[in-house]
Amino acid sequence: MAGAALAVVPFLRLPAFYESFLYLVLHWIVLATSWNILSGYSGYFSFGHGAFYGVGVYTTAVLAGSYDVPFLWTLPAAALIAALLGVALGAVVFRVRRVRGELFALLTLAVTFVLATIVINTPIDGGPGVYLSSVRVPVLAPTASGSFYMMALALAVVTLVIARAIPRARLGVGLFAIHDDEDAAEVMGVPTYRYKLAALGASSALAGVAGGIQALFVSYVTANGTFNITVPLTVILMSVLGGTRHWAGPALGATVITLLLYASTAADQAVIGKAVTGAILVAAVLFMPDGILEMLRAKIAARRRPANIAPATPSRPADHASREPLEKRSSDLQRAGAAVENPGDEVAATAAGSGLAAAATSQPATAARLRSAAAARSAPTAARPALVVGTPLLAVRGLRKSFKGVRALDGVDLDVFAGEILGVLGPNGSGKSTLINVVSGHYRADAGSVAFAGHELAELPAHRIARAGIARTYQVPRPFAHLTVRDNVALTAMFGGAALARPQADEAAAQWLAFTGLHARAQDLPGALNLHQTKFLELARALAARPRLLMLDEVLSGLTPSEIDEAVELIRRIRDQGTTILLVEHVLRVVTALSDRVVVLDQGRVLAQGTAAEVMARHDVAFAYLGVVHA
Amino acid sequence: MTLPSATLLAQSALSGVFIGSLYGLLGLGLSLSWGLLHVINLAHFGLAFLAAYVCYQLASVGGVDPLLTLVLIIPMFFMLGVAMQWLLARFAVSPLNSLLATFGLTAIIEAGIQGVWTADFRKLESVYAGQKFRIGELFVPVPELIALVLAFALSFGIWGAMRYTDLGRAMRALAEDAPVAAAFGIDRRAHALMLSGVCGALAGIAGVCLALSFTLTPAQMYAWVGVVFAAVMLGGLGSALGPLAAGIVIGVSEAVTMVFLSPSWAPIVSFTLLIALLLLRPGRS
Amino acid sequence: MLEVRNLRVDYGAAPALWDVSLAMRAGELACVIGPNGAGKTTLINAIAGLHRARSGRIAMDALDLTPMASHRYCAAGIAIVPEGRRLFTRMSVRENLEVGSYLRAARRDRARSMDYVCALFPAVRDKLDAQAGTLSGGQQQMVAISRALMAKPRLLLLDEPSLGLSPAMVDVMFRAIRDVHAAGTAVLLVEQNVTKALDIADRAYLLDEGRIISEGAPDAVFNSPGLRRAYLGIDTPGHADSHIGSEGKR
Repeated sequence: MAGAALAVVPFLRLPAFYESFLYLVLHWIVLATSWNILSGYSGYFSFGHGAFYGVGVYTTAVLAGSYDVPFLWTLPAAALIAALLGVALGAVVFRVRRVRGELFALLTLAVTFVLATIVINTPIDGGPGVYLSSVRVPVLAPTASGSFYMMALALAVVTLVIARAIPRARLGVGLFAIHDDEDAAEVMGVPTYRYKLAALGASSALAGVAGGIQALFVSYVTANGTFNITVPLTVILMSVLGGTRHWAGPALGATVITLLLYASTAADQAVIGKAVTGAILVAAVLFMPDGILEMLRAKIAARRRPANIAPATPSRPADHASREPLEKRSSDLQRAGAAVENPGDEVAATAAGSGLAAAATSQPATAARLRSAAAARSAPTAARPALVVGTPLLAVRGLRKSFKGVRALDGVDLDVFAGEILGVLGPNGSGKSTLINVVSGHYRADAGSVAFAGHELAELPAHRIARAGIARTYQVPRPFAHLTVRDNVALTAMFGGAALARPQADEAAAQWLAFTGLHARAQDLPGALNLHQTKFLELARALAARPRLLMLDEVLSGLTPSEIDEAVELIRRIRDQGTTILLVEHVLRVVTALSDRVVVLDQGRVLAQGTAAEVMARHDVAFAYLGVVHA
Repeated sequence: MTLPSATLLAQSALSGVFIGSLYGLLGLGLSLSWGLLHVINLAHFGLAFLAAYVCYQLASVGGVDPLLTLVLIIPMFFMLGVAMQWLLARFAVSPLNSLLATFGLTAIIEAGIQGVWTADFRKLESVYAGQKFRIGELFVPVPELIALVLAFALSFGIWGAMRYTDLGRAMRALAEDAPVAAAFGIDRRAHALMLSGVCGALAGIAGVCLALSFTLTPAQMYAWVGVVFAAVMLGGLGSALGPLAAGIVIGVSEAVTMVFLSPSWAPIVSFTLLIALLLLRPGRS
Repeated sequence: MLEVRNLRVDYGAAPALWDVSLAMRAGELACVIGPNGAGKTTLINAIAGLHRARSGRIAMDALDLTPMASHRYCAAGIAIVPEGRRLFTRMSVRENLEVGSYLRAARRDRARSMDYVCALFPAVRDKLDAQAGTLSGGQQQMVAISRALMAKPRLLLLDEPSLGLSPAMVDVMFRAIRDVHAAGTAVLLVEQNVTKALDIADRAYLLDEGRIISEGAPDAVFNSPGLRRAYLGIDTPGHADSHIGSEGKR
């Protein structure tokens, strides 16, 4: 709409100077916004935007200048070749996990200089530069400068529409997740490699078109004037000034900076203008490091807050009250110091200590599920009860993983059967977390196989594993810091096993937040949550993926006893919904209370497996486990 | 294509060593502030050029020996480095934002230089200019030799200080885990200010070397950014000897490329080298 | 010697310590026990100056440290073995020890301190020129303790020195802690390994949910109802049974 209104400008017969100036504003809006599509959204700061822009410049210069291709036809070619370059570069660079942050910035800058050298030394340019003065400017407006304005306007509108659409689509959510924590994003099902390629492709294509138009606008192009560090630094400056997390931020920054540069050149004060621009950049970085838009948003939010504070404060889950008596009762239980039969209450209190094999409770509600395990508990003398029958959901065979010569997993075999809770115990460094990291694809196994529902996972990228129906939590919660609590959960609903579309994912997120008692915090950022809530967010996120297998990595560490009871209750409810659970946990009483079976790892190997009571009664287990940690 | 003579090859390799040690000298301060202070200091180039112009002014106009200007330039740029760190630390700037803020500073410095000395070319005429001597078949230009000696002395000096003095070890400890280093009594703020001062002084010294060998124009400062960054990254962030070694590797490979192909092909060597190393180098960072 | 009064420390937005007071005499060995997340690490880090206190007071010999910058705590005679060891992994063991003795007073006795820690941990002497990051967990823990001792502290703070170590290595650590204590240094020990910690301590504090809920002689704390509730969660019929694999009580 605004674009249509602005299209009237050339017919106002303004002096060509103004039209050219407006053209420049639009030109920089396109460059900055296109840069932001990859770099702002995903956090991969490219210093190579000049390369894609330059490829566009030279595509048009060569096609129109040397081969007399009509100018407008050169623009799609510029887009295509720039995009090809971007995708080819990305296809190499994005495979190397290490090249992130400043290394990515440097690499893209180096690519720019390599391209410049090639252009100078080949017939593409040859050294002296390319003239386009004989190329006809397409007539889109009464004047030539008006025509440039119209072209830039059209491109700017397209660019902004794309930049605006991405954050609302899966692609954008995925890119934002990559920005915050790429490895976690991949494990939650975001196809990070493909998304980065797509963003880089779109970003470079748009920059290529902008370059093509600019080639004709300046009508004389040189390699040194094109492939330099000024273009990337300028677009970074514009985007950071405006705000990189919002689609309109770079456009705002581009307008401000171009105006400033114009104001100084117009006043014949280029030197002062440059100094002022520099000073503004310094001030912007120091006083509003998140950009103008973010600062405004924070200000507005701060003004609204007083009205909102009342509903936003309940920090405990809303159904907390109803659980209060249960907590009380369970702590009474603890004080009683004995395992008590307590029908009607879903608390299983299991004995620990040397009498680990002592009696435990079984509850009517869960008795059916616990069949075999409960049987084993009530008859501790049974040598080796048939624990679970059927084919395993997850079958791990001969799994090995070493880090710098330390064997974290040294030939692990284990099965997880559908519908069970398998507890994994072991002292620090026994390989529990590594097991989860390898199964979820966070690390690649050195050897061995991981079969999930009959399909081999060991060679798959992590996002495919997530899609297949495996979700996990991290021992140290890794929420996406810049996504709201709701978006954190919606992300896994979109990218995990459930694979929902955005609107459904939002609904699912609301549902899982209610399930974990976090619904009041849906619009907060994860940083505002306390540890207990962050752990529950981690859970909600894993659940929203609707996994068939849920791997919990010490979800309870750091929680207080009453919070642990709450979490135990929650884990039970999760299993009751039909999810199989692999539970790595330090808090012994939780493992004994929850697990149908227990596997003990020690020094990267399976030391024992069986029911909790059985396993705990073994002396070697007690030594390996309790020798270090007393619980 | 005829093969170049051994003498020509040796002479160009030598000039590669000279330009490479200047890359290393410029990269030294950059590497220290990036690796140890987590400040990616683009303004390092601005400061170096400012120093070059100050040296030009004092030497050409005031008639002072260019090397004597160091007596003024070193303390002056030390203070500038301290001031910059004070500003950045006050606002707890992240590494990426430090790059942007120092880019702004560079623009201010560039404008300042342009305002005072205009954008015209300036060449320092001094007793050293054009002086050279022969070793066998090879010519050794004196200004470049001065830069080389300074680069080696400073790189090895700082390397030794980092390794063998309590101050240097404190700097490295701070870079790795500042809170724990502070728990052993190391004052983080004071050390950061001092290190930034040292980096500023290094920029000043590099600037004097630039003035000795090159014709100056303000916009020229950006021409050094790419290749010096390459040297710093190749050499390893925070390393004192790395930039010099990497700078010489780049300088020599560029110079040799110039002989075999043409001077305009030179950049492709360093940057291809950089790209390959970034992609293929195992482990670390 | 050390006096902590009404200390409150926030971790992020939430308070991690509510209102903690404790006192230590010179040469004493006290331990702080409590379940995961009770605030033990926050407490010990606050005493070392690694965390800022929100309110309250930390004083060494009546010198109030709370308003001071964190690098001033060491000069008051406090040195820490932090959780997870946090060695300077890219520096050699020797350099780690030298950083430990950075302050002038400690620097003067550097050679003697170096001999002392090498006698305490002969393994450290063999590894002096190895890069700290390449050592095993047990060796790193020895270096971390040595680094702290190099500062010649009057109060040594130890945060979970047994974490992640084999039982044999745990014994090595505890023997060393006992030696250091015997040599006259006050030790404040945070431990998960309750029995071992209570075994060697003169006094114990039980921390739960950011508050001290029990303090006194180790036996009294061990038998307090608070310990069974807070630390073990669900209680066991007889706690003597819960130390399988350790040597049991003295």
